[in-house]
Amino acid sequence: MNWLNDNVNVLALMGAAAILILTIFVVGKYMRQMQNDKSSGELTKDNWDGIGEYKNPLPIGWALSFLGTIIWGLWYFLVGYPLNSYSQIGEYNEEVKSYNTHFESKFSNPDKTTLMGMGEGVFLVQCAPCHGVTGDGMNGKALNLSKWGNEDAVVATILNGAKGSDYPLGEMPAGLLDAESAKAVAAFMFKEISEVKNTKHPELIESGRALWATCAACHGDDGKGMAGSSPDLSTYGASKFVVNVLGMGKKGMIGNMPKFNDGRLTNVQKLAVGTYVNSLSK
Amino acid sequence: MFHWLERNPFFFAVGVFLVVAYAGVVTILPDFMESARPVVGTKPYSVLELAGRQIYIKDSCNACHSQLVRPFKSETDRYGMYSLSGEYAYDRPFLWGSKRTGPDLMRVGNYRTTDWHEYHMLNPKSVVPGSIMPAYKHMFKNNADIDTAYAEAYTVKTVFNVPYDKPDMPKLGTFDEAKKDAFEAAAVIVADMKSTEVKEAFKRGEIKEIVALVAYLNSLK
Repeated sequence: MNWLNDNVNVLALMGAAAILILTIFVVGKYMRQMQNDKSSGELTKDNWDGIGEYKNPLPIGWALSFLGTIIWGLWYFLVGYPLNSYSQIGEYNEEVKSYNTHFESKFSNPDKTTLMGMGEGVFLVQCAPCHGVTGDGMNGKALNLSKWGNEDAVVATILNGAKGSDYPLGEMPAGLLDAESAKAVAAFMFKEISEVKNTKHPELIESGRALWATCAACHGDDGKGMAGSSPDLSTYGASKFVVNVLGMGKKGMIGNMPKFNDGRLTNVQKLAVGTYVNSLSK
Repeated sequence: MFHWLERNPFFFAVGVFLVVAYAGVVTILPDFMESARPVVGTKPYSVLELAGRQIYIKDSCNACHSQLVRPFKSETDRYGMYSLSGEYAYDRPFLWGSKRTGPDLMRVGNYRTTDWHEYHMLNPKSVVPGSIMPAYKHMFKNNADIDTAYAEAYTVKTVFNVPYDKPDMPKLGTFDEAKKDAFEAAAVIVADMKSTEVKEAFKRGEIKEIVALVAYLNSLK
């Protein structure tokens, strides 16, 4: 029996006892009154189906608060509401403004762990319906993100082509290079062009450099996509590439990816998604 | 005066009505005329979209899906901009819904695509694990009713002056023109779909319900 040690339990019991005692007293008082009292008041001339009504004056406190609410009601009816109109949208704007200020100050300089956490959260809401909770593309219903953003994915893109994100230079045709050359170009691209600056196959860099001209025709010598004519490969493998795809959408081989530029995601959130998506293939 | 009102229930009811109606007048009317006009960029539905809308109503999508994004941060984060009354100017009837068993669909065209809808209507669990939405396989079998959709568009154009055939507004024209436009719009959607059943039916000159429904869902922005 240690439940009496709990403050809330003790308070509840004391409250119950107080209510019980009060009830007994009050009920007792009125029972006696009903048994013994004789009516002495003066009746009004109204008669409601046989029930009369005493002429009792209203207690002064009640009367004053009743008058007060009538006056306040008139003010609210004629001035308070119509002239100082409350607006739901106004409240929404204030809510968003204070949230955004807080968000910006809190995440002005997010570290990698914060971005990963935020990215996973946004991914589960906005990306998972198509790419799957784990980002595996759900048996080919969307791009398998665990096989994207690395050298193997670049090789696959060169072999299979890409429909791209509606860049001026259009689609990338399939089979521009054979498998071996594609592997070399991917190695060169990851070491020299991309921000990743690291390749699994350093021995292939030089042969890849020689083959880069095929890619440079559209992506430019520096791989930066010739000022928006084609995708900027220098960001491939980094968050910025994903941020770009989120902004432009994608007409993929499998299906269409919508644009995420209607203001639902902030720039920090897009960067977070990029960080998270790139981590899936590592 | 109050004593007199107590003895005259009819005039008491009139008094109650006046007091309540005044509250309605000051809260609703001042902004009503302005906000009920179509928002800039709001356009009437095309015939194919209307056919999809009729399927949406027929299969009671609105029993589980609302079409109204409320002005709360949590909602606008997930669904996009909150809804304005002028955006429903051409919705007859409006499909706000009153219960969200599934998510809101007011702006679903912004973040879902044709291929996703196809997977989802065939088997919702294949793209949303844990979804309790039933599959709508019959939409891949039944034909969409383009004739009735044209009739609806023609009626609202004639009776309610819905601005079809106006500059920068959707074209309606004669029934044959409208039917041709509906088939052109459907061709774009069929091209993005995978179902051979739907593709072959389209070659035979049939538009399946799923095509019209996807056209409608894609138009919700």
